[in-house]
Amino acid sequence: MNRSIFTNPYVLIAPAFMLAAFIILWPLFQIGEISISNVNRFGQLRGFSGPENFMAVFADPQFLASLWRTVIWTVGIVAGTILVSIPVALILNEDFYGRGLARVIIMLPWAVSLTMTAIVWRWALSGESGMLNSALLGLGLIDQNIQWLAQASTAFPVQIAIGILVSIPFTTTIFLGGLSAIPDDLYEAARLEGANGWQIFLTITLPLLRPFINIAVVMNTITVFNSFPIIWATTQGGPANSTDILVTYLYKLGFNFGKLGEASALSLLMFALLLFFTIIYVRLAMRGERA
Amino acid sequence: MRTSRLLRRSIISWLILSPLIIAVLFPFAVMFITAIKPATEVLRPTWWPSSPQWGNFITMWNATNFGAALWNSIYVAVLSTVMSILVSIPAAYALSRFRFVGKGFVQQFLLISQMLSPIVLVIGLFRLLVALKLLDNLNAVVFVYATFNIAFSVWMLQSYFSTIPKDLEEAAWMEGATPWQALRKVFLPLALPAVTVTAIFSFINAWNEFVIALTMLRNQASYTLPIQVFSLVAGRYTVEWHHVMAAAFVATIPIAIVFAWLQRYLVRGLALGAVK
Repeated sequence: MNRSIFTNPYVLIAPAFMLAAFIILWPLFQIGEISISNVNRFGQLRGFSGPENFMAVFADPQFLASLWRTVIWTVGIVAGTILVSIPVALILNEDFYGRGLARVIIMLPWAVSLTMTAIVWRWALSGESGMLNSALLGLGLIDQNIQWLAQASTAFPVQIAIGILVSIPFTTTIFLGGLSAIPDDLYEAARLEGANGWQIFLTITLPLLRPFINIAVVMNTITVFNSFPIIWATTQGGPANSTDILVTYLYKLGFNFGKLGEASALSLLMFALLLFFTIIYVRLAMRGERA
Repeated sequence: MRTSRLLRRSIISWLILSPLIIAVLFPFAVMFITAIKPATEVLRPTWWPSSPQWGNFITMWNATNFGAALWNSIYVAVLSTVMSILVSIPAAYALSRFRFVGKGFVQQFLLISQMLSPIVLVIGLFRLLVALKLLDNLNAVVFVYATFNIAFSVWMLQSYFSTIPKDLEEAAWMEGATPWQALRKVFLPLALPAVTVTAIFSFINAWNEFVIALTMLRNQASYTLPIQVFSLVAGRYTVEWHHVMAAAFVATIPIAIVFAWLQRYLVRGLALGAVK
């Protein structure tokens, strides 16, 4: 084998690894250091504080409320996305007139920045002049304007719905990849045996799609858990912090309230949660490989 | 007989998909219709403007400082894409071609860095940039975007590179080519489709990114498009919604068109990456 820097894996990996190490590990150590320090709002460290910052986070009722809301947010969006994406992928996997166009439209939210999507929805959901209210009024579905973003009971479900809408393209793509891997003869054999569409779905499609559903669940969980722009650009966690999830609460702690110690402690807690999701992902991916 | 079945299936398919399609297209309609409304009609909840005001797009350009933000977005997205591709290609090549000590560690590190979104690290990143005196510096944002794209890019490229037979390069070596020549003349041309797909995803990610830009870019002169448009809405009593929507429309449509055009290849590339 030729000796060359182009055949030395360490040389090849070095640039990517060093860049990632510098921009990811350095901040991570910083966060670790701040989380166990006394820190003022200008970011100066004033000695070791032990678990005080973590205690402060746990004692904050806003933390528990945000954590609970993050669970609803994540489970709601991920479950909703999977439930919608399976039939959508099944339909898009079959040939029909205009399939290319339908595919393009359904994938479209993927190309749009979440910030822009959220800003447009914020406008569309506005109580007096929003086009959603005027559309619903026009269709006779509601008889008076709804102040969608003015209270959490309507704002949060709407935010979850937007989250589902923007997660469908990626998820459908994964499922389409999974469906294309199912050999046609399986379907033909089942049809010869006299199975109907629903039976075929339950006994062939769903089990074979299983690994792809698992991957989609974990990957969506991570993305949705981290998702900031939808809530920030529609309500900024308001009114009165009633739509805060952990990421928006973290941002407020760090940049609006200047509680850097607590924000760092919260970052580490979220990091631990993400690590947990990652381990699940690795387990699933490895099981997929062995099968 | 066959065509009538296909026709029936087409109608049913479109009917089932129609609620989703309406929900997807609704924001685009809102954006476009608001953008062409006369300023006096914007707050009136009518669907159609009495007369479309195409001039809104021109007044928006100056009123929202669109040109500068557009340039900043292009600068950040292009440079961060180039940078992440340049470091990801060799790393993906190494991971797909060689066995070496520490390979597992590198893969795990990449995986974890992919799971970490910038928001979880935002306090540390902010301190890093403050320490380096790089706040408000677009080049610093380029580095951060490039870094957070590495994991995804390596993952996509590696899974594609593994499908290119190693014999091709080995044959080139036999013919007396140096490893660099083999790479450049044999391997990279074959890898071009994957590189293109990966680059487009990186570009879209950078183009659309919000949290890092919101935190690191404090001065309006350095705002990228999402932050610029957000700044027109957040914390203001009067919002010029027709300008905001015109800006959102102009910032969104070019990317959406490119995406729609390339969508087939993107989807294939990603599906390949996911299956691996």
